Order: sequence, then structure tokens, then C-alpha cells
Amino acid sequence: MSSALERPAWSRRRALSWLRGVTITIVCLVFVLPIVWMFAAAFKTNVQVTDPSVGLIFSPTLDNFRNVLADGEVLQSLRNSLVVGVASTVLSAIIAVPAAWAVGRFRMRRTGSLVLVARIVPAISLLVPWYYLFAQAGLVGSYTVLVLSHMFVSVPLILWIMIGFFEGLPVELEEAARTDGLTVFGAFWRIALPLAAPGTTTASVLAFIFSWNNFMFALIFSDETTQTAPVTLFNFISYASTDWGGLMAAATLMTVPVVIVAIVGQKFLVAGLTAGATKG
Amino acid sequence: MSIPSQTLTRRSFGKLAAAMTIIGGGAALGGCSAGGGRPSPNTPLCIMAINHVWSQAIRKHMAEFEERIGRRVSMSLLTSDQLANSYNVKLNASATDIDVMMVRALQEQLLFAHNGWLADLTDRVEGDAGYQWADFLKAPRERSVTGRMVLSVPVVTERPVLYYRKDLGAAPATLDELMETALPLADRRGNFFGFVGRGQRSGAVSMWSSFLYSFGGDFTGQGRSAIARPESIAAYEYYGRLLERAGPPGATNMSLEQAMPIFAQGKAAFYVDADAIYTNFLDPKISTVQETVGFAPFPAGPAGARPFNIPSWSLAISAFSLLRDEAWQFVRWASSPEMVKRLQAEGIPGARQSAWSDPATLASFPADLARTMQTQAQIGLGIDRPDVLQVGRARDIVGRPLVAGILGQPVAPVAREADAEFAEFLVRDNRHREG
Repeated sequence: MSSALERPAWSRRRALSWLRGVTITIVCLVFVLPIVWMFAAAFKTNVQVTDPSVGLIFSPTLDNFRNVLADGEVLQSLRNSLVVGVASTVLSAIIAVPAAWAVGRFRMRRTGSLVLVARIVPAISLLVPWYYLFAQAGLVGSYTVLVLSHMFVSVPLILWIMIGFFEGLPVELEEAARTDGLTVFGAFWRIALPLAAPGTTTASVLAFIFSWNNFMFALIFSDETTQTAPVTLFNFISYASTDWGGLMAAATLMTVPVVIVAIVGQKFLVAGLTAGATKG
Repeated sequence: MSIPSQTLTRRSFGKLAAAMTIIGGGAALGGCSAGGGRPSPNTPLCIMAINHVWSQAIRKHMAEFEERIGRRVSMSLLTSDQLANSYNVKLNASATDIDVMMVRALQEQLLFAHNGWLADLTDRVEGDAGYQWADFLKAPRERSVTGRMVLSVPVVTERPVLYYRKDLGAAPATLDELMETALPLADRRGNFFGFVGRGQRSGAVSMWSSFLYSFGGDFTGQGRSAIARPESIAAYEYYGRLLERAGPPGATNMSLEQAMPIFAQGKAAFYVDADAIYTNFLDPKISTVQETVGFAPFPAGPAGARPFNIPSWSLAISAFSLLRDEAWQFVRWASSPEMVKRLQAEGIPGARQSAWSDPATLASFPADLARTMQTQAQIGLGIDRPDVLQVGRARDIVGRPLVAGILGQPVAPVAREADAEFAEFLVRDNRHREG
């Protein structure tokens, strides 16, 4: 009798498990297919790319990668992206991590909200005044202006991720450190900051990915020598034709560093993203 | 024990934050400064251009120009949308770091002129006998003038061409013949189409304009909307029927980027688009029809063959440029009779009559294409879209009946609605223009 009752429950669980599996598969396909298509197209000729009858079975060619690498412009733009991404992330972290600690420890919520305004204001509305100011300062076309504009978005991002993180750290640890003779800064530097390393990594990885993919600031503020990868990708789209193979090869090259950063940072990423949720 | 003094903590934090800001800001500003200010001999002449074969070709000759003016040239190539966005941001901020601008005379010139962004070139082009301003083709030359001022110089021109498959038969001479030939060739199940063309609401308007003119219609007449006149409705219905019955599925989402590959892959019998894209069909890396593609003039409609002949890209000088003389030297050099001949000989159709009259400049084009381009350059109209300030909005309105036609819906009621909307738009646009 009891096994007869258990059977429908078991079937229901099994059906739910199947449903979950199918749903996960569909969601994964939606996210993964464009990447697979990009990767496959990077190894196709332009005729094959635009021919829907050519799927994933074709004779691959490395010509697209050869052309992209021989041109040199893509590599230069990847270098520029790296410089801007690393500089803006490091500088943002230097400013935002201590700020987040202060906001979290001393309940400076209004200050935190003020910084968040930078993320609320649409970036495009800032472009004209910024451009005017940076042009007057002779900075347009330099790395400086790209780094500063990316920091405008990265600082609030890191700040708000880290506030939750610092709030989750027991205040007693810092109090004990102060009792043992450390200064306020010492307690932050020697106690809070090392404990917040996973959070800092998470925030920095996200800030770097934002910077790496940012198109709008780079389009307006860079010149031909400081152009970053997202803008350079559009060089493959000309007025009368699109070099799909070259575009996909360049996009693949642009995606690889972010994937590496994400994989390396994944361990911290998960810990960092969940850390703020366990406070209290 | 609790942390002793919150005031002290805040102060400490203040010092820390200030120190970090100085370190951070200093590192950013100190390490990467590119300089700027007033133009020195080292300040480059900045050119913003479309990523186009013309720009790529002129770039190859740039060392010659740099040597001539003794100044470095910085040339940024962007797509047309990015270029327009960059102009909007930079020129709104009165940027001095754009000297030469590549503009679409028919799309942007009125608006840019209204905003005061373009320098007046009238004295320069007309006062320089060696430049031979009168040598430019009449239609593109006229479109370079706004408010009696020459604000741009055309460097690339375009006309519509009927691309067709020589292996499937001869090119039709009239629009009726085109319809009669294309319909039976269409085999959607076999993934073959009788005709392919742009069908996107806004993107299709420019290419459809030759159909409109050849049916005897126009976008406006005496300053009023003319898109609901019988000739215009006939043009809408014709183009809609052609794409609906002989075209590929999803044609209303197709612009150049989607339509062109269909013909290049040998999946369509006819294709009407700009002559500037012909190389796409001759390049074996992109095309499977390089042996079979033919080029024919735009077929005649009830009002004859009335294709456009437009300045697709022109050079202008920013009103905020601090290097206007050097910018003019570039424009003069890049659009000189000699350079236009050189570039046309490389397959880039220019805007000078002297180049079109010189058989040597046409040798690089396939013979039938050269004949077609020459004919259409003589008879073409100088505009392929509404002549208004806000061209994008106007194209959206005018394109609505086109989409209805392609979807097989009755065109006349949609055209009448669009006509009323366009009439209102024209009133507002004129008010802006006069303001």
C-alpha cells in the first residue's frame, strides 16, 4: 500500500528532474550557441559563413586568424584593452575598496548612494560634457581619458559589491586588532582587506569584464592608437561588405582573455558573490 | 572593548581616501597623457571617415600628402552609424580635434549645416581654377550646396544597378519585364528567389526611390507629401508584389547586409542595389556567381528609367577645426581630378566628369557595369531619400507602406496614413529648418 503511494511521488520527482534537465539544456543552448557559432565561423570562409546550409561540418581554415594577426591592428587594440582594463580596475579597486570598508563600517549609506548615482545616470548623457572637458584638457585620444571614464563605472560597481562584503565580516575581529595595538588603518589593512580578498577579486573581475567590453567610451574618447578591441571589431564591417570570417576570428581572440580571467577568478567569484548574503 | 573614536576613524579614512585618490589620479594622468591644446607643427590633421574602399584607398596614398603638407595625418575609420554618433557627441562639444569629416550629403548635411558644424567651402572651390569645381557631375555637385553655400565635396557616387544572372537569361529592360521574368523563376521550396532587394522599413527607402521615380512619383511635390499620389502608390505596390512573390522570406528584415549575400550565393536571379557593392560579386572568397553575374541599367518604368545618381560620401571641413587650411589642402588633394582618376581606375566611382569621360578610368570595371554606370551617371537624379532635416524619421514614415506591400497587405490605406503623417512631419521639419 505504501509503495503504491510512493510510486506517484517518485514519478513526479522524476518528471520534475527531467523538466529541470530539459530547461537547463535549453537555457545553456541559448547562451552557448552564439559562442559556438562565433567560434565555428572563425574557421569558415566568408561564403560558408553566410550560407545557412553549412552548419558545423565543414573544412576549417586558419586564414581568418592569419589575416587578423598579420594586420596587427587587432593585437594593438587587444593590448590597449588590456592596459585600460587593468589600469581602470586596479585604480578603481584602490579607491573603492577602502571606501566600501568605510561605508560598511560607519554606516555611510548616503555617501554610498551618492556614488551609486554614477551608475544610475545613463552614460550617454555624460558624453558631451565629458568630451568638452577632456578635449579642453587635451586628453582625448589618450589612455588617461579611457581609464578615467571606465573608472566612473567601475568604482561604484566595486564599492557596492564590497560594502556587502565588509558588512558581512565580524566587527569583533577589527576590535581585537585595535586592542592589540593596530591603528584604524592597520586594522583595515592587516585584517579586513585580507579577509575581503575573495570579494575584491569578484568585484575586480566584473569591473575588468565591463572595461574589456565597453564600446561607447572607447568609440568617443580613443583615437587610432588607443582604440580598444570592441571598436576595432567594427573595422571588419565596411560600408559595402562585412568580413564575417575576420570579424569572428577577432571576436574569438577578444573573448579568450575574458574567459581566462573568468575561469581563474571563478573560485573567488562564487565565494565573493555569496559572501555578502550570509551576513547577520 | 569597542573602537574608541568614530571621529578619529572618519578623519583617518578621509586621509586614506585622499591619498588613494591622489595616487590613483596621478597614476592615471601622469602615465598616459597625450597632450593637446593649440595646434603645433606636431598636431596631426584629424580625419574621421567611413570604413569604405575609398577611405582605405586614400589611406594608401596618405604618405604622399603628409610629405606635401609636412604634417602627420590621423585617419579614423568607423561604420556609418558610429561616425554619425561620434559627430553628434564631438561637434556638440565644439570639438577642435576633427578637421576633415566624411559625411553623407543627403543624410546629414542639412542637419549639420543647421547646427553650424560645417565650414563654408564656396570661396575655396570656386576661387581655385585648378580645382575645376565645374568638372563635378551636376547632380552630386548640386547636393553639396546648402543655403547657397558649398559645404561638402563629393568623393564617392552611387547609382542603382540591376544585378542579374547571365546564365538564366537576358536582363529585362523594363520593370514589367522584370516582374514577368522574376515571378516564374522563384522557387521558395528550392531556396531560390526570383528577386532579392532591401525590404527594411527605413533601409529600403533609398533603393526603392528609383522605382518611385520611374513610376513618375516622388517623396514630395511643391513642399508637400506626395507619397499617396497614384504614381507613388503604384511604385509601393509594384515593389511590394515583387518582393512578396519572388523574394526571400523575411524580406522586411533585410537591408544590404542580408540581401547581398543571397545574390552572392547564387540564390536569386535579380538584385537591385548600389553599383558601389559590385566587388562583392566578383570576389571568389565571398561570391559563387563571379562567372555568371551581369550588370544592367535600372529598368524603365511607366515614366522611363529614372535611377538616382547620388553623392554617397563627401568630404567636409569642421567649423571648429583649427587646421582649416590644411584640411582644405587634404580635401583638394583627395578630390583633385588626378586623384579621382587614380581612384576610379582602382574601381571606386568618383564624382568628376573628366574621370567618367576617360576610358582608362573605367577599365577596372566589368565592361557592362562601366557602360551601365556611365549611362546612369548622365540621367540620374541627385537624391534618393526625402530632402529634409530629420532624414531618419522621414525614412521611417515613407517606409511604412513599403513594408505593408512586402507583407501582402493593401498598400493604399497605409500609404494614405503615412501621407498624413509625412505631411505633418514636413510642416514641423520646415519650421525647424527656418528656425
